[in-house]
Amino acid sequence: MKVSILQENLARGLGIVARAVSTRSTLPVLANVLVATDNGRLKLSATNLEIVITCWIDATVEEEGAITIPARTFSDLVSALPQARVELELSQETQAVHVACGRTEANIKGIDAQEFPLTPEADGADGVRIGAGGFKRMIQQVAFAAATDDTRPILTGVMMAFEGNQLRMAATDAFRLSVRSAEIPAHSQKGTIIVPARTLSEVARVISDDDQIVELLLPEKRKQIIFRLENIVIVSQLINGDFPDFTPIIPTKYTTRTVFSTMALLNASKTADIFARESSHTARLHVEPGDELTPPQAVISATSAETGNNEAVIDANVDGDGISIAFNVKYLTDVLNVIDTPQVALETTTATEPGVIKPVGSEKFTHIIMPMHFGR
Amino acid sequence: MSEADTPTIPVGSRWERAILHLDMDAFFVNVHLLDHPQNRGKPLAIGGRPDQRGVVSSASYEARQFGVRSAMPMSQALRLCPELIIASVDWEQVRAGSRTVMSILHEYGPVEPMSVDEAYVDLSERLNPKIIAVQIRNRVKAQTGLPCSVGLATNKLVAKVASDFDKPEGFTIVEPGWEAAFLAPLPTRALLGVGPRTAERLAELGITTCGELAAFNTDALRLTFGKHSESLQRRARGIDRREVQAERGQAKSISQERTFNTDIDDASFLHAKLESMAPKVARSLQKRNLVAHTVSVKFRWADFTTFTRQKSVEVGIDSAEAITRLAHGIFDENWQGEKLRLLGVGVSNLEPMVWRQLAFEFDV
Repeated sequence: MKVSILQENLARGLGIVARAVSTRSTLPVLANVLVATDNGRLKLSATNLEIVITCWIDATVEEEGAITIPARTFSDLVSALPQARVELELSQETQAVHVACGRTEANIKGIDAQEFPLTPEADGADGVRIGAGGFKRMIQQVAFAAATDDTRPILTGVMMAFEGNQLRMAATDAFRLSVRSAEIPAHSQKGTIIVPARTLSEVARVISDDDQIVELLLPEKRKQIIFRLENIVIVSQLINGDFPDFTPIIPTKYTTRTVFSTMALLNASKTADIFARESSHTARLHVEPGDELTPPQAVISATSAETGNNEAVIDANVDGDGISIAFNVKYLTDVLNVIDTPQVALETTTATEPGVIKPVGSEKFTHIIMPMHFGR
Repeated sequence: MSEADTPTIPVGSRWERAILHLDMDAFFVNVHLLDHPQNRGKPLAIGGRPDQRGVVSSASYEARQFGVRSAMPMSQALRLCPELIIASVDWEQVRAGSRTVMSILHEYGPVEPMSVDEAYVDLSERLNPKIIAVQIRNRVKAQTGLPCSVGLATNKLVAKVASDFDKPEGFTIVEPGWEAAFLAPLPTRALLGVGPRTAERLAELGITTCGELAAFNTDALRLTFGKHSESLQRRARGIDRREVQAERGQAKSISQERTFNTDIDDASFLHAKLESMAPKVARSLQKRNLVAHTVSVKFRWADFTTFTRQKSVEVGIDSAEAITRLAHGIFDENWQGEKLRLLGVGVSNLEPMVWRQLAFEFDV
């Protein structure tokens, strides 16, 4: 193998596949990145057996070939190189890659490409084509609500339900739930799958402004999903099992509906977290409907036994009774960070029942947070 | 507080042990009055709402005159006293008040808190415990704005009776040697461990006061109370050797482990062991009002190789189910059929449970 590539392209490609590299594996080859020529381009691929990320970068190929080399070493080296053309040459005898760029030369010892797990192909399955930017936003609005500890593996996943021309995505860690739906072009896909939230976060991460379309492929009976972008393919295992039925936990009515400026509520929440950190991120929200003399308002406050306390008053439109309710303020900032509308509504019933957060003027996104309760 | 309010203190008595019992007067009520002075002097009950099956947590002395008592259903309290003002507990203020009181007590000696509004302090090491007692009472009132009652005696039993003796804003000192005389005229119910049932049975023997109990023929008492007779009479004489159990620092970890008689590689047996240990760990956490962010499993192979593996969660846990679930996960990831001689479950990364994150109810 003998190729030359621009240093910045190589660095970007390695950055894309790096997240799939196994950091703790008994298989040494999984700590490596596959470097191979492929139809006049250079293919980089890494896997931890749960997810495979492959990307193709423009290259000048003088001699075909393939090898795997330690991902960490290769990435560190490439990022230290000057912005110039990088020459890679594989020595068949020593299985080492000679790297030359400017006046720097290096040799990296490799492992035979034959030992690298095969990248599954899509075998011509029918794909679902979705606008890449919109899909990225869907992921950002849903995946953060998935569980980060793997004690209940189902909850580390994001449900994706294909219903006609609707795609519905949902995730929950049992304390909060994010549900987002979108219209998608006609396709032949049906049913519900659970995709690891980690995979989707990687997909969102690698979608760039240049990407128009992401194609989702679900090869028959393979328990896998493939995300295809212009120069990147991500293959992931699906999570087995049934996603919890969350429809009964979505409240159908409320006694108070409070509308805030999204930014004002986000800022107040961030401020409250300074003092809420030591009390399990608990911030109290007090909504006052107001009367002839006083305008409606909401007060967000947090108290720390050690550092102090704070209180922020924000304007609100209140429909219904006053309420005092406490939330993990991190959960509030998480969802407010991904709401695109200038106004956001919070629907509440009592201090121990879930609060529902919706962007005002959009029916596509619903987020539900269970409150904090004082004492046992 | 003016000079005239300060009790005159006889000097000269010897204090081998000096125990102070401090009890805040109608604590929740007086905390409420700090922010709602307009309700002072009115019948007031702090607790749950009557339409939500609430009960009275604390009643003002004015409400008590109508027969309103703690733990009474709020609806009943309202029937007894229709003009009763009802308010919910302001936990933030209650905790702040409690913290201030306890921190004052800590300046004077080892403290054993009994609840948010009640504690014992061991003043045995202080030169003049009676002056300290006055200081404590005055400082609590000055720094919190809340009234309290104080009892000082040579032991916990008598100190507690003394603090209750002259409530509210009581200040009672029982000099060394005067314990039995102090208790003698009081009803037996005043004694720790004498409930309505015991008092009733004592009354059947013609005993209504502590003095009568102390003087009663022990053999005759034994016919009714058996081996408890001596301890009853000791208490009636004001004898109590219990130490003030000062708070120990908060636990860093809590664990359970089992060593097996024979080395075991039966998966279902080992899982069952985890399931039996986890609830004990959970109860320990709950008793201390703590939640854990980390669960660990300790393994010891037949060859004595010992190691611990752990998993952490963001939202603190204290339930047997959550601990079991994490323990099973750790076990399954680290056990490949080896013979075990010991298995343990522990929790660490503990913090006080103040706010509980509620969760959705669904099975996964």
